[in-house]
Amino acid sequence: MAFGLRWAGSGVFLATEIRVQLHEWLAIVTGTLTPGALLIFVAILAPDLLPVTLVGGLVYSMFLIGQRVLNEAAYIRIDHKLNELYHASPLSPEGYFVGIAGGMLVAYLPPSLVLLVILEWLHPLSLVAALALVGCLLAVWAVSSAIGYVVSTLFKDMKTIWPYSALLTNLFGILPPVFYPLRLVPMEWRALVLVVPTSAAAALVNAAAGLETLTRGETILAAGALALEAFVLFIFGIYWARRMARER
Amino acid sequence: MSQEALHAGDVRKVYRSRGGPAIEALRGVSLALRRGERVSLLGRNGAGKTTFLRIASTLLIPTSGTIRVFDFDVVGEPEKVRPLIAVVPQEGKPFFHLTPREQVYCYLRARGIPREAAKARTEESLTKMGLEEVADRLSVTLSGGQKQRAMVATVMATEAPLLFLDEPTIGLDPFARRAVWDVLRDLTRKGSTVLLTTHYLDEAEALSERLYIVEEGRVLFEGRAEDAKRQIGGTLRVSIENGGPHRDLFESFGQTVAEGTSLNVITGPERIHEIMDLAFRNRLSATVGPVTLEEAFLTIVGRSIDEE
Repeated sequence: MAFGLRWAGSGVFLATEIRVQLHEWLAIVTGTLTPGALLIFVAILAPDLLPVTLVGGLVYSMFLIGQRVLNEAAYIRIDHKLNELYHASPLSPEGYFVGIAGGMLVAYLPPSLVLLVILEWLHPLSLVAALALVGCLLAVWAVSSAIGYVVSTLFKDMKTIWPYSALLTNLFGILPPVFYPLRLVPMEWRALVLVVPTSAAAALVNAAAGLETLTRGETILAAGALALEAFVLFIFGIYWARRMARER
Repeated sequence: MSQEALHAGDVRKVYRSRGGPAIEALRGVSLALRRGERVSLLGRNGAGKTTFLRIASTLLIPTSGTIRVFDFDVVGEPEKVRPLIAVVPQEGKPFFHLTPREQVYCYLRARGIPREAAKARTEESLTKMGLEEVADRLSVTLSGGQKQRAMVATVMATEAPLLFLDEPTIGLDPFARRAVWDVLRDLTRKGSTVLLTTHYLDEAEALSERLYIVEEGRVLFEGRAEDAKRQIGGTLRVSIENGGPHRDLFESFGQTVAEGTSLNVITGPERIHEIMDLAFRNRLSATVGPVTLEEAFLTIVGRSIDEE
């Protein structure tokens, strides 16, 4: 019960969420469509950028998982009122939040593994690069899940939420250098994009895989920002879940 | 442990919104439920029933007042209250991409009920709610009534000591409603306490051992349905068609209540002949029947339960 956190039932709720998502297997498969489409363009127009795009695809897919948390949490709260069923039960609010976030991660991970297999085929990763990839992807998941969950609680209507989901995805997944290399970003903008969690993750993995060059300062900035954002936002997500379990 | 499953004292709730007026949803509600009782909160839409239920089930913080569930404070000790309660939310729906069997089982497991017990209770609950035939179909393919039954089955299966049901039979056909009533009776026989909100008068009458009539955030009546009927000053109702304009003729016979185009006179058997005679002399048709909870509600609240 560190910090008063209670996790009883969260594993079962996570498994429930996985089960819900697996019944919607088409949504899981279509999750790979955006990175897949971009890969085709890149393979035709600039095949040398394929490994960078694949890393970007993995980061983007992980960010999308958080956006699925947004949609799922909003849907079961607004449309189904299932949050009330679970909040008025021994399952803790933190277990509820982590259950949704973890359920989405497990359910939507397999399509990302396809990208990983292609990456490993085109550009085998060293152990350090593989560890950097796993760490960075988990950090992106933590950031995106927390943002997704918090945003999901701010609205009373699904239709209002959809544009925000699209906005966040584009703001974090398309605009910054996730699918394209950091070297294309002007020097004066680099510090800024390295504190954006998605582009920081992509830059760090690319650097670890030898696809990008980062200075020591840039590496520290990107790694520090990503770790801090993941930790702070995930803790905030837990705090917010506890707060939202009871309306004021 | 206290003999009371729930005790509420002077509960008030004011909703404040930016730019809008403050809405006083509860204005000092006090009520108590003994263990094993079935109690209804009866009221029109917007009377404050759901707000009370949400506060009692730890989902909403009151502006003032206290609610204790099995002696635990719902505001200060929610983590102690939650294992003791289960809630059917108003307009709640099961996970569309789970089957009713998965829905009930997963919920029980998340509440910490061991695997075998959860399996047994799932089957029992689905059977009681008449969902065996659709137990393995995704809920998205079920009818509205079947979805509602799946929600009720989910909560019933918990056998929690205190169950809150917010309009649990909305959208159910008469047979399914009776199935819910039977399950609720069965649960209270086993020791659970049930607090439900409804605006179905027949449901409140058939199911509740006591009822609270709530209007504009206040409790206007507390007692049995029979007491409510008795309180209005008669056992019979003479319903006079198009009697509204003649109200003054009948006011001396007892309480008069307008209902649609009819005028209802609540009276005792000794005055029936006089009223009927007067009605016929004025060329008005009239029928006699026993006083219903609806009349009692109309008299206590001053408006029909369906009036917005």
